[in-house]
Amino acid sequence: MKCLFEFGTFLVSIISFLIVFLLIRHWAFAPLARMMEKRRLYVEQQLSEAEGQREQAVKLASEQSELLEASRKQAKDMIDHARLRSEEQAREILESAQAEAERIMQQGRELVERERQEAVNAVLAQVSSLTVQISEKLLRDHVSETLHEELIQEADKRLGELVC
Amino acid sequence: MIAFPYLFPNSLFKINIVTIVMIFVAGLVALFLLRLATSRLDMRHPKGWQNVVEWAMEFTRTMVGDIVPSERFISWIMPLSFTVLIFIFVANWLGLIATVSIHLSHPIPWLGITSSALKGSNGEVALFDSPTANLSMTLGLSVMVWLISHYQGWHRPKQYFKAYLNPIHILEEITNPLTHGMRLYGNIFAGEVLIGAILTMPVLFHFVPTGLPLLIVWLLYSGFVASVQAYVFAVLMVLYIGMKSYHMGGGH
Repeated sequence: MKCLFEFGTFLVSIISFLIVFLLIRHWAFAPLARMMEKRRLYVEQQLSEAEGQREQAVKLASEQSELLEASRKQAKDMIDHARLRSEEQAREILESAQAEAERIMQQGRELVERERQEAVNAVLAQVSSLTVQISEKLLRDHVSETLHEELIQEADKRLGELVC
Repeated sequence: MIAFPYLFPNSLFKINIVTIVMIFVAGLVALFLLRLATSRLDMRHPKGWQNVVEWAMEFTRTMVGDIVPSERFISWIMPLSFTVLIFIFVANWLGLIATVSIHLSHPIPWLGITSSALKGSNGEVALFDSPTANLSMTLGLSVMVWLISHYQGWHRPKQYFKAYLNPIHILEEITNPLTHGMRLYGNIFAGEVLIGAILTMPVLFHFVPTGLPLLIVWLLYSGFVASVQAYVFAVLMVLYIGMKSYHMGGGH
């Protein structure tokens, strides 16, 4: 039985394996590793992009909710303000209406008073003129000095009663 | 003992032709299998065989990463560890799938097939066999790994020589490559020898192959061993090189 170890096989095996190694590295390993590295970078990039987008979305959402809150508050303020204004306005209108009504009533009362006064005055004038006419008629026919005197006195008295 | 054809059979530099040819056959088979996947690479929708090859890639990467968790070392050793893993896996399996031999009645002296060798192998001459079932070849691989590991060590001479303050490490420099190569050779060679032995079991009444159940069991086991030994060889290679790759974050 000869020695199991053969130096030639040993040395040429190493060389052959190195050739095989270079072949596999160049034709199989390199493209595969390149592709996987590319994919890794791609996935990483996509992940970071997605992360950035999520952050932005969160920011936008909070911004929006802030805006919504602000606008809601503003609307509430506006409504409150309008309500106050309207109440005030209503009160003002009511007040002015009341004043107007008061004024019109006052005017009416004054008018009534004046017209009554005028009517009384007109009646008085008419009565006095009638009295004078009746007196003339009576006196022209049969009147003495004494009767004349008495009639005038009585007329005076009646007139006073009528006025009051 | 089967006979092999040799180049330069009577010199110190005799070369086992079958082993060398089988290295290239195994390498080309591995390359072909990998090219099946890499010729139509798809980054976004990998499918079928490409997934398998990518899985092997990831497997190798985790294997290396578990031993030396340094990104620089991983990316440096990945081509070699991946190639070794695939190449030895294919090489181990080649001898399981088929061993081809021919019967020669006349010796061919210039190929080293002498009459005494023919007598020892009953005239059988191997043509197709696992390259890893040859001690010189596996030792070649392990010594190559040994050389690479020392080349790596020289980048940091201080740490490199400090390790040898413990004399056990000097002894390890001899035993590590020896066991590294012999383990692979022993496992594969033993498996093939036993397959050969089982195949010679008698066929009863010309149709009852007595060895068949045993052969099936042993083939299954040898397949397991072939796969595991490829893994073990790659792991030990990464370990030996990683232990001395101080400048790449290896060493402990």
